[in-house]
Amino acid sequence: MRLKLVLELLDVPGQLLDALNPIGRLGANIVAVIHQRDVKTERGTVPVQITIEGDKDTLNEVLNLLEETGIEIIEVDGILRKEKITTILVGNIVDQDLKDTVNLLNKIEGVMVADLDLKMSEHPEKSASRIVIEAQQGRKKEVLTKIKDIGNLKGFLVINEV
Amino acid sequence: MKICLMGLGSVGQGVARVFQMKRDEIKQEYGLDLDLVAALDRSGAAINPEGLDLKLLLETKKLTGKVSKYPEYGEEGVSGLEVLDRVEYDCLIEVTPTNIEDGEPALSHILKAMGDGKDVVTSNKGPLALKFSELARTARDNGVKFKYEASVGGAMPIINFAHETLSGCKIESIYGILNGTTNYILSRMAKEGSSYEQTLNEAQEMGIAETDPTQDVEGEDAACKVVILANSILKMDVTYADVEVKGISQITPESISLAKKEGYLIKLIGEVSPDSLEVSPRLVKEGSPFAVEGTLNVATLKTDLADEVTVVGKGAGSIETASAILSDVISIWKTK
Repeated sequence: MRLKLVLELLDVPGQLLDALNPIGRLGANIVAVIHQRDVKTERGTVPVQITIEGDKDTLNEVLNLLEETGIEIIEVDGILRKEKITTILVGNIVDQDLKDTVNLLNKIEGVMVADLDLKMSEHPEKSASRIVIEAQQGRKKEVLTKIKDIGNLKGFLVINEV
Repeated sequence: MKICLMGLGSVGQGVARVFQMKRDEIKQEYGLDLDLVAALDRSGAAINPEGLDLKLLLETKKLTGKVSKYPEYGEEGVSGLEVLDRVEYDCLIEVTPTNIEDGEPALSHILKAMGDGKDVVTSNKGPLALKFSELARTARDNGVKFKYEASVGGAMPIINFAHETLSGCKIESIYGILNGTTNYILSRMAKEGSSYEQTLNEAQEMGIAETDPTQDVEGEDAACKVVILANSILKMDVTYADVEVKGISQITPESISLAKKEGYLIKLIGEVSPDSLEVSPRLVKEGSPFAVEGTLNVATLKTDLADEVTVVGKGAGSIETASAILSDVISIWKTK
């Protein structure tokens, strides 16, 4: 079977090779590679389209290995894998145990906190935190509701995306 | 068309001014004679079956603050319901201040006028947010027209726009910035990095925010509009208590700057969809249709056929709001 992947690579020398090497090593065939360095994502990374061929188990192994080595897979056969959800919390973030907040978020199925930015205020109850969450495609609505619940639990104002 | 104007605050005076400005034009264009036969405020009324002098009315209000001081035809202490009984009129324009506790006195005024077979135009959110289905039913039962374009978004066309221009489409959801005061405050905070309290003070000094800003900053005003849109456009049967409301008073400069870093702005958004009625601060992308500044209102209607349609306009202001009322009056006239 064939799989069309879109990987997201940093725009530095050797990245493409690092991504392709394990594929061959696991015994999958590389059918096509489309690499346009001048097309970039908003984060400045380069999306690379790769079509690979092999049996199902091998292809799964390839996906796992790519993810393990920290290579971002954005799309598999035209389906986006993850979406980023940004949310801002206002309140006494530190006193309300930041680690626990992150854990609660991570406990939501298919959700991982990818980035966190904290801004302290002179008044601790007015501190703000921006949290970027990666969630499985199509679960945004559910994730947003869960974030609101966590906010209510801890007395935070939750500012979600529209 | 004989008109009774209930309420002579900012919107009411705007209506009188707009009538004065446009009278001849409207007569020529639509053959509609706008005759203001009664005007009321807290002090009482001015009633003249032959039509009030608009210039004199506005001057009297400006000089004395009381419509009851109108020369010859002014009456002190007369109530709204009494006037509706005594005066012969075709259309009630109800623009008394919004009351979201019980909708009064506007609710009684509107129901009485409808019961008497009169058409009603209003900008008053209270009765609409609390008793929408009752009002719609009463209008239908009495065979009268009931229009309320000015109640949502001031001059921004949305209700008639959805009903008429988009009449072939099903409206699936509406997201919008429905309160100009909070949008002004949030825009200024984003630009100046100032605190909420400081910016609110500035807005109050400029007359953009009221001395008691609760209705605006706590999201109550926007929530009323969410109810009106849900009932009138999405055909839901809901009331104020069904809306989840969060205002902007907890928004800090820190949260705004964190949002900015990621290319977002914080706006007070009203959401109207079959599974959610909500007013809350939300993140919107810079450069998106929601990234409007100042006191502007904006709304995006998601439809089945036309996809997304966005409207923008001045959400408040005396003349701007009166323009929507005038449009409603003319559209009632056109059906006669």
